[in-house]
Amino acid sequence: MTLRTGLFLGGLVLALTGTFLFLLTPIAALLLQVPPRDLPTLLRDTAVSSALLVSLKTNLIANILFLTIGTPAAYLIALGRFRGRPLLVTLIELPLVLPPAVAGIALLTAFGAFGLLGSTLASMGVVLPFTQVAVVIAVTFVAAPFYLRAAISAFVALDRTQLDAARDLGASEAVVFRRIALPLAADALRAGWAMAFARGIGEFGATLLFAGSVARLTETLPLAVYAQLDVNLNSAVAVGLLLLVISGGVLLVAKLPPLWSPAAPSSTAGGW
Amino acid sequence: MVARRAQAVRLLHAVTVPIALSLRGAAQSHHRNSVPSRSDRTHHLEATSLARLWLILALALTASVLMLPPLADATTIYAASSLVKVVPAIAPGNTYSFAGSDTLAFQIESGAPADIFLAAAPLYAERLHSKGLCTTPIVFALNTLTFVAPVSNPAGITRVQQLNRPGGFRLAVGSKHVPLGIFTRTLLGKLGLGRALTKNTVSNYQKASDLTSVIALGSADAGFIYTTDWYANTTRLLAIPVPASAQPLIRYAACVVTRPNVDSTAAHAVIARLVSPKGRQLLSNAHFGLPPTT
Repeated sequence: MTLRTGLFLGGLVLALTGTFLFLLTPIAALLLQVPPRDLPTLLRDTAVSSALLVSLKTNLIANILFLTIGTPAAYLIALGRFRGRPLLVTLIELPLVLPPAVAGIALLTAFGAFGLLGSTLASMGVVLPFTQVAVVIAVTFVAAPFYLRAAISAFVALDRTQLDAARDLGASEAVVFRRIALPLAADALRAGWAMAFARGIGEFGATLLFAGSVARLTETLPLAVYAQLDVNLNSAVAVGLLLLVISGGVLLVAKLPPLWSPAAPSSTAGGW
Repeated sequence: MVARRAQAVRLLHAVTVPIALSLRGAAQSHHRNSVPSRSDRTHHLEATSLARLWLILALALTASVLMLPPLADATTIYAASSLVKVVPAIAPGNTYSFAGSDTLAFQIESGAPADIFLAAAPLYAERLHSKGLCTTPIVFALNTLTFVAPVSNPAGITRVQQLNRPGGFRLAVGSKHVPLGIFTRTLLGKLGLGRALTKNTVSNYQKASDLTSVIALGSADAGFIYTTDWYANTTRLLAIPVPASAQPLIRYAACVVTRPNVDSTAAHAVIARLVSPKGRQLLSNAHFGLPPTT
């Protein structure tokens, strides 16, 4: 190994060490803040369990929504032949750049009582603010763009010749999507979903403004953390750790090889 | 302050001028002829990498200049969010940080570099005082609560007693752990409406400003906010009368934060201005109540 290679490798290791220290020190500090044996007591609070329930329920629905609708939408954007695709992708990414509180106000001005669609909704007897439906909308609004971005990139990166080969062999477009494109893109889709999930489960600002913080109804885990900050720092940290464990678990699971795979050819697809 | 700025500008010049020169050098060597000789090419490469090096250095230095800590002679005022307009008017030219009083007190306890603490309830200033973190708090302004609905009043609320109706309204209130929420519960208790918060769908907020936007944009049918916040949003919010006898005592307290090795003369001067006739006039113009002069 020459001196130059050694220096370069040393630089790489230094960069990695710095990255880990910077990202993990705050999380380690959080873990050290509360004695582990106090955690069960702190989490046994009914406010925490109801917030956990609200978070899981609303996020489950939101995730199903953006997976089932977002995946085919991303497929069309990625494979469709039309002009202005960069513009379309940028439009989809816009919610990503909104500060959460602005996202909340945007949702209110769209679906709130005086919003663009508010009076139409009200005439149909639909009142969204302070309901779980509003939480689902807020979570979907902030999380879906993460998934869509990843899904579009995943489908764009597909090897078109494989899709064409399937077509030549007589597969319909629906079969190409289900049996070829989806399995080939599966890894990237899962990674994108994991990021979207993590963003959604931690959603705070848009939920607070649009769905409110109603105990047992719209108070999600992140809102509970914020509310607990005024009461008991330890309890807030405990709820924060719970969130961390849930999101960390999901991120890890998304990286493991799937136990269940939708179609056989994914064994060749998972290579990269 | 001026000296510091000049120093920063000189530093930036020292860095940016050589970059401009070396970039120009790179450009010139590039344009001299289309097929550069070997030595020309080496020169070009050198110039480009030199330019790049200067650019990186310049960026690093700019970043460090921008990150210089605020100057010690500016007074840093930590003030309750409801004071956001009036405090800069009374004590202009300082550094301000506005947030909930509980958050500010927590930050000061954690060592934040505040010179003055202006709390929305004496409790927080007294907590710091008892820990030896600030001088004896003095009350400098008063406030009241206003019961508000969106101007179009879709829920048709005209009297606060309607909150006793079962099945009622979507209400936005301060969380029970922040001053606004504590005052709201005191007021409801005095009106015999203690159960209003269980009979209605109630959303709790930590920040008064969140509450104001949520009601103004029609998420909530009604809610309780500081009167001064209502005056700032009269075009969007309708005030519904509340008996004056039910009003809680809302007092703003000021204290000078004790910091080792920091001269507190300027901080004391700001507090003096706050309780001066001029300060009281400005507070009154901003619809704050005034404590009796001492």
